Amino acid sequence: MANNDGKTLSPGNVLLAGLWRENPVLRLLLGMCPTLAVTAAVKPALTMGCSVIFVLLCSNIVVSLMRNLLKPHLRILMFTLTIATFVTIADLFLKAFQPDMSEALGPYIPLIIVNCIIICRAEACASKNGLFISMIDAFGMGVGFTLTLCVLASIREVLATGMIFERPVLPVAGDSGGWFVPWAAMGMPIGAFVTLGLLLAGVNLITRRGKG
Amino acid sequence: MDKIRFFLQQSWLLISASLVFGVLLAALNAQWEPRIKANEIAKFNRRALALVPEASTFETIDSEIIVDLGKGQKTHVEVKKALDAGGELIGWAFAVEGSGFADKIRLVLAADAKFEKLRGYDVLFSNETPGFGDKIKNDFFKNQFHGAPVKAYILNKIGDAKTIDDQIVAISGATVSSEAVVKTINTFLRQVQEALRKQGQIGNGQ
Repeated sequence: MANNDGKTLSPGNVLLAGLWRENPVLRLLLGMCPTLAVTAAVKPALTMGCSVIFVLLCSNIVVSLMRNLLKPHLRILMFTLTIATFVTIADLFLKAFQPDMSEALGPYIPLIIVNCIIICRAEACASKNGLFISMIDAFGMGVGFTLTLCVLASIREVLATGMIFERPVLPVAGDSGGWFVPWAAMGMPIGAFVTLGLLLAGVNLITRRGKG
Repeated sequence: MDKIRFFLQQSWLLISASLVFGVLLAALNAQWEPRIKANEIAKFNRRALALVPEASTFETIDSEIIVDLGKGQKTHVEVKKALDAGGELIGWAFAVEGSGFADKIRLVLAADAKFEKLRGYDVLFSNETPGFGDKIKNDFFKNQFHGAPVKAYILNKIGDAKTIDDQIVAISGATVSSEAVVKTINTFLRQVQEALRKQGQIGNGQ
């Protein structure tokens, strides 16, 4: 089995690609909408990440299984239909079993349908590779996306509220005599842009040093 | 005939997948829908119970309450009676919706049995700016409505927030969100009171 560059696709390589080399957020800059919108706290970021892993895994499995039956001009329609189905399942599941999280995430769970990462992996990997590689690819990309969201959300939640997972980690200034003044801007969209920008700059710096 | 055959050759996978996915979604929806509805009711009851802690149950009234939102728009309001353990009416509770700063805000309003004083409000859903507009969930702002007379409230930028009357002091830095809450309450509260009075559910010694 070979990819477009003629290099052999080993499961380890495919898994690591999603985690670092082709990390969807930090390297491919895909899925920016949820990255900016749901990273004000770790809980919603983790829920979003798990939902994306589920949708990515299921859609890659279905697309890979029917890849030989796909008509070229109908393939995007089939991808969208498949993705929309699994996103609706994830949305219903959260409404039934995690109602608070479902409400906190609002429209961003249904919006996974138009998340570029999912359709990108269906087109670039699952429609060209077997079931096993497609599953590994979905898992790697999903976990890479989730980890990035969680790192971003941890930084923002700590700076905006002094908490992680809604548990205090910094002594907030007030009656109890703490020193940390919550930085409300980090919980707002500007905090998301600034944190993501700095994270991307850090990743670029590491990559350049690695090449040098 | 050839056209139909061509159509089926091209689209059989799409049609089959649509059918399979549709059945899958219908089955899951049928399975989880009762739970989703129960979650919504439980959330309303939790919020309403915080406003009317003596209540034992919340019972939806049979009659229909329609509220005029202006510009020809009308909405149906599901009003619930708050009943104590003995089945006595001790208050009213209902959900209302209005436009906030960035998104809709949904509130639970509760009034006393005679619908003369507000028991307060709580937020069912809001997406207001963290650190600013989301302070509509804070006691400083909410407490101003606790025990306030049922009338049209007036929002002021300065004043004494501890005085309970129809004058509401806005949240500093979140005037739009404060206005949204006051406007939403003003839109619904008096109209629901009037509708209940017309239906004989309040007033006339009830």
